[in-house]
Amino acid sequence: MSEPAPEWLAPDTLAEALALKAEYGEEATVVAGGTFLAILLNQRFLAPQRFLSLRGVPELRGIEANGELRLGAMETHRAVELAPAVRESWPGLARAFALVASPRVRNQATVGGVLADADYASDPPAMLTALEARALVRSRDGEREIPLEELITGHYETSLRDDELIVGVRVPREERSTYRKFRSRSHEDRPCVGVAAALRGGSLRVVVGAVASRPQWFPEICGLADGEELDAVLAREIAERYARAVDPLADVRGSAAYRRRVIRVEVRRALEDLTQAEAA
Amino acid sequence: MRIAFTANGKGVEVDARSDEMLLEVLRRDLGLTSVRATCGIGVCGACTALVDGEPISTCLLLAPLVEGRQVTTVEGLGGDDPVQRGFVEAHAFQCGYCTPGMILTAKRLLEESPRPSEEEIRLALAGNLCRCGCYVKIVDAVRGAAA
Amino acid sequence: MTDPRVTGAVRYAQDVELEGMLEARILRSPFPHARIGRVDTSAVPAGIVVLTPGDVADLGMYGAQIKDQTVLACDRARFAGDPVAAVAAATLREADEALALIDVEYEELDSVFDAVEACDQDAPLVHDRHNVSENDAAYFGIRPQQGTNVCHRFRLQQGDVEAGFAEAEVVVEETFRTAGAQHAHMEPHASVAQWQDGRLEVWTGTQTPFNLRSDLAGVFGIAEDQIRIVCPPMGGAFGAKTFVRLEAIVACLARKAGRPVRAILERNEEWLTLNRHPAEIRVRLGARADGTLLAKEVECWADTGAYADCGPGVAQKMGFAAPGPYRIPHVSVESRCVYTNLPPNGAFRGYGQMQTVWASERAMDMLAERLDADPLELRLQNLLQEGDRYATGEELHDVRFAECLEAAAAAIGWHESRQGKGLCVLMKGMQTPSRAGIAIEASDDGTYTLRCATAEMGQGARRAISLLAAELLEVDVARVRFPDPDTDLVPYDTRTTSSRSTYIMGRALVDAVRDLKENGRRGYGEVEIPGGLDPDTGQGVASHHWHQGAGAAEVRVDEETGKVEVLHLHAAVYAGRVVNRAGAELQNEGSMIMGLGTTLFETVDIADGQVTNANLSDYEIPSFMDVPIELTHDLLERDGADVHGLGETALPPVPPSVGNALGSLGIHVTDLPISAEAVLGAVDRRAGAREVPA
Repeated sequence: MSEPAPEWLAPDTLAEALALKAEYGEEATVVAGGTFLAILLNQRFLAPQRFLSLRGVPELRGIEANGELRLGAMETHRAVELAPAVRESWPGLARAFALVASPRVRNQATVGGVLADADYASDPPAMLTALEARALVRSRDGEREIPLEELITGHYETSLRDDELIVGVRVPREERSTYRKFRSRSHEDRPCVGVAAALRGGSLRVVVGAVASRPQWFPEICGLADGEELDAVLAREIAERYARAVDPLADVRGSAAYRRRVIRVEVRRALEDLTQAEAA
Repeated sequence: MRIAFTANGKGVEVDARSDEMLLEVLRRDLGLTSVRATCGIGVCGACTALVDGEPISTCLLLAPLVEGRQVTTVEGLGGDDPVQRGFVEAHAFQCGYCTPGMILTAKRLLEESPRPSEEEIRLALAGNLCRCGCYVKIVDAVRGAAA
Repeated sequence: MTDPRVTGAVRYAQDVELEGMLEARILRSPFPHARIGRVDTSAVPAGIVVLTPGDVADLGMYGAQIKDQTVLACDRARFAGDPVAAVAAATLREADEALALIDVEYEELDSVFDAVEACDQDAPLVHDRHNVSENDAAYFGIRPQQGTNVCHRFRLQQGDVEAGFAEAEVVVEETFRTAGAQHAHMEPHASVAQWQDGRLEVWTGTQTPFNLRSDLAGVFGIAEDQIRIVCPPMGGAFGAKTFVRLEAIVACLARKAGRPVRAILERNEEWLTLNRHPAEIRVRLGARADGTLLAKEVECWADTGAYADCGPGVAQKMGFAAPGPYRIPHVSVESRCVYTNLPPNGAFRGYGQMQTVWASERAMDMLAERLDADPLELRLQNLLQEGDRYATGEELHDVRFAECLEAAAAAIGWHESRQGKGLCVLMKGMQTPSRAGIAIEASDDGTYTLRCATAEMGQGARRAISLLAAELLEVDVARVRFPDPDTDLVPYDTRTTSSRSTYIMGRALVDAVRDLKENGRRGYGEVEIPGGLDPDTGQGVASHHWHQGAGAAEVRVDEETGKVEVLHLHAAVYAGRVVNRAGAELQNEGSMIMGLGTTLFETVDIADGQVTNANLSDYEIPSFMDVPIELTHDLLERDGADVHGLGETALPPVPPSVGNALGSLGIHVTDLPISAEAVLGAVDRRAGAREVPA
């Protein structure tokens, strides 16, 4: 009597997965960890025609550190956070993944999933953007790399084409970085403001998450630090400019005006973290 | 669709819809009612099970994803597990609704870190909510189980 | 040695399954106030049972205190979420799909969402008439104001308040607000009903089996003994599982289906079923320059939402707790229970007293600041003493306020430094009048079975009552059985609320055991507690005895973001005599942690009459990491004292303790919850005030 259940497609190879994605496009709802999808299904916001599960695709696994870091799209948050190579050489990234939700969710949610969902309040996208990460994206026609800041385009929107899958992420060597998750309510809350900051080759990247439809990065403001010592005055200047540049959204975690105040404080603190790390 | 996995050490095969969660399958098809629906969004931990040894929110795990995996609920611990004993000895429950999820999460913590600090315990269990507010005694219970 | 809670073996109401049972889902009004037109169910497939307003229009109305509810909204939907239809099907999925096929015509009406505005003369009327219920839960003089949205007005007068203010040298005046809150009991509301030979049987998570039975008898026009209510253990309740929730709908569906029907609420529906009363409280407090209190005037508006439920009782307790545990010669209180087009509000741990304690105890600290007095000394100077009469005229005995307050102050090192620290003292009433009976049956195998209506929701009442019984019977507690309450088998009890069960059942047990010893097989004991207040003067006996407590907090504030960290939270509660120590500690700790959520972040957000945070991510409850590293408490005892209830006393002191701790830093807040954003605003105001030249 009930509506028929969605078809379950479970390819064993990447080629097979890409063929199915090419065939069905957005009619195939991709299942990675499935956490976000489950929330939508539980609330009956979604009635997919078919699922495309990537769980059995071996090419989407792997955490490789070899000068740069390559994370397979199907690696879980927990795997990233605990991988010795990531903890040692990409500690800021390990921390951003470790701060997501609970161990339960991190045991299930994947690297590819958090990017493809493009949820404004997720922690990893801001950090990956600050670290100049690039998403590796494949279709039957080939592979392309998309810088994180070009991958996430809006609220739950990405620049992925219907026939494409995220297969992994490349992250250049981390030099100094920090991630600050400011929660306005419970410790278990999603961020009211998330600030990722990274210094690499003397170049600064500050990315603010959870305050707008996509991670907020202002290269021209970060450019103020080029060739300069990141002292207290400059940190304040950059924080002030970020607070003015972002047009914050309002939700249960804070009004737009409040978020603006917190951005000013947390960006400055993030920059202080970076310089303290340098001093240490 | 047919889904085969191991539940509390026994091979099982269930017939479920592809869009159902493991929570529904465990409760309806296997009668494992220690996993409990509460938030439906993975934030409370009342539906926790161990999947391949790791705590998971069964309300967020699509049933087909459990194919071939090992699922453990507190029904599978028997009743005399050190963590269960720790909870009883510390009186670490009131209504008992969240208790199975707490126990499974604590069990995994103690495998990773046999002598956790209070801070470690609180962090590891932070994603399991208890509205009765038994948190202080749950920390005591986990410490007791570790001793 | 093992406990069913650690093996997962507890069977809650949601786990009840009967042969051939159908699953129910409820269709709710999307509009906060709308006339209901045609309800078209023609698209629903055959075999699915549908309940529409037409099916229930001839049934009786119900309501714990005001008879204002029909089984489904019949003529008008009065809040966004008001049930307008229900379905029962073999599976939840089919029931869900059927819901989407029901088409309801609505004509939107003007709405009101604020209790103070709802008292305006031209405010839309949520109900045309207010009829006081015959239910036992309407146990006090209820004073509906016909032709308005006020379904109960309680007044308390002592002395001449204006004369008092005329004499006062210092007067503080402030308006305080407290937010709505969701109980967030982890087990959702769940009920199963079936009809057997014209008799209705209901398995349901309820704290009020007899009140529920009475209302259902009125709905179906049958005798109370034609209804059987069984109460499995609850996965938390905190006041939410009281009176009629899902039971009437499920019983109607079961009757129509001719089969058992179960309903389990979806999490988001909890916010549409029952929340805590948001309140506005205006306080005027006058004293002499030496700190002696002279006059207090309090006005309260309790927003009860679209249906009264026990809102009149909540407003009454708000009112009679408003004077606080102080000697004040001149007192005037007016408390109103007001309808709005919002989801219903009802009993919630703290029951009205949290709201007025917040306002009153913040006002005490404001007065201390004006007088440049130590907030502890100011309180001690004015506290009620043994044998004093409270503002209601009742004489107080076994008075322990000073002891509680001093213990709380000592716990946080008040005498060393007051920076970042706050205190609070309170009195909390117990259900008065009240009646309870308990029976004990002896078996040949040497065990004893308690027949007792006290419902178990995690508060440990069964354990405490079993321990008391074992003590009186002089047997090991393992030989005392306490089956799930079943109204066919247990004697009458008012209800499991207001932290009264251990006390009152404990007293009834004494007689029951004596009776058993005299009669051999079965003993019965009953206790009736008289009392009550005149609703127009507030004179009489508000509470047979008072729950007495104090709180203390130490906080640290990130003044750049407004984030408050509670470093130490303490509650000192007068326990009389502790029966079950672990249980007593859990009740205190649980109350404090729940109070912390109320203090810092819990609020039911409403926009245009719709709840906008009906999930446990947008509505947050305290987690492990939110608990202060130092969470401490005292259970004060006295040799030979009665057992005092402990279920709620430690919740109301938390918000004012934290609010007053912020006040000690010059951060003044009046509204709950104290969001980081509100703290930042108060920090700004403090800076502004400092810039103004003296």
